[in-house]
Amino acid sequence: MVKKKKSIQEVTTVTEPIAVEETTYENDLRTNLEEIKNCDGVIGYILRNSSSASIDLKDPTRIIDFAILSSSTFDAIRDFSELFDLGDVNHAIVEGQKVKILSIAIDENKISVFMEKNADAEKILKKMHMT
Amino acid sequence: MDNEVYSFALKNTLNEIQNICPDIKNAFMFREDGEIIAGDKNTPEENIVHAIDAFDGVTEKAEAIGGVESIILEGNKNRISVSRMNELYLVTVTSRKADMNYVNTVTRVLVPTILKLLDKINPAPLKSAPPKLEVEPQIPIAKHVEKQLEEPIEEPRMEERKEQKEPEVKPEPVLPEPLVNQFIVENIGGLLVPTDTVRIDNDLLLQWQELYQDRKIEEVEIETFGGKSIRSKIKPIKDSKYEGKGIIQMPEKIQSTLEIKKGELVRVKPVIE
Repeated sequence: MVKKKKSIQEVTTVTEPIAVEETTYENDLRTNLEEIKNCDGVIGYILRNSSSASIDLKDPTRIIDFAILSSSTFDAIRDFSELFDLGDVNHAIVEGQKVKILSIAIDENKISVFMEKNADAEKILKKMHMT
Repeated sequence: MDNEVYSFALKNTLNEIQNICPDIKNAFMFREDGEIIAGDKNTPEENIVHAIDAFDGVTEKAEAIGGVESIILEGNKNRISVSRMNELYLVTVTSRKADMNYVNTVTRVLVPTILKLLDKINPAPLKSAPPKLEVEPQIPIAKHVEKQLEEPIEEPRMEERKEQKEPEVKPEPVLPEPLVNQFIVENIGGLLVPTDTVRIDNDLLLQWQELYQDRKIEEVEIETFGGKSIRSKIKPIKDSKYEGKGIIQMPEKIQSTLEIKKGELVRVKPVIE
């Protein structure tokens, strides 16, 4: 009986920190994205996971367009990855005539950072990985 | 210019790029409207079609960013890059270890140069092929000539015949208008190589002979896209590696007279006398 109690205690001590870690990670990600949003040339970001989505764009009229494009980009990443054996895709950069998008999947979180064409995507990428 | 010639030139370019950059695993090109223009020898057409579909998924939604100029996906095994060049998109798949500076230098210099050259030779080659008014099949590969020979000159010749029938003075049989073919120039050298003779596919020579039965074809007229032309003796290609590739082997002397070099396109038609 004594032994059983011990094992239960061990389990609970293991699970608690994970839950805390996940929450902290998401919070860190959001904090980091808020910082990134203030970088030169950054227009905004979209963060999605299975349970929630955050969209923060300087021009709210473009939210739907950018949200759809972000989703299509992740679909294309999946397709290209399967077709050409890319492995796990670390990030994608889609460049348009006016705007470019940096898309990163970190665990369940799919992040798209929108920026002006001349913005430094590599710098943003480094900041993202600092989370 | 025939789209086929255009694709042929680009396909060769992609294969050559892969030869000098072995880190490029796949390379292909397609038009904005999704039409495949050229693919390297390693990439199955099915994969290209699926890739274009995936790409379309993004471009359809990309109006908000002003259309797609480029896409780069960094995987932990391979990397894919889609870049817009004029009206085309070039897709390259490279290994993770590839020296991207080198790859980019090669692809971003070579492909636009070829595109520019092709465009210079004949502007707007990628538009849908216009109806051919001239008897000019303009095909690079001898195999394709076979098809053209069966039907090529019928319509225009009929018109010519009608025109000629009106006076009904000339009793001479009307010979088919000489077929014009396009070839890519390849060097030919050696001590015993005559400097006044070019070499083309034997199959094509046989087809010419079949077409102009009683006439012996011993010479061809070669014309550059710069307007220079020359008559030259003709013989079949000996080296099997050049057969069926739309190549004309040409001595340096003739190249120099025509002010052209290896890799350039020329028009060739048989001299029928």
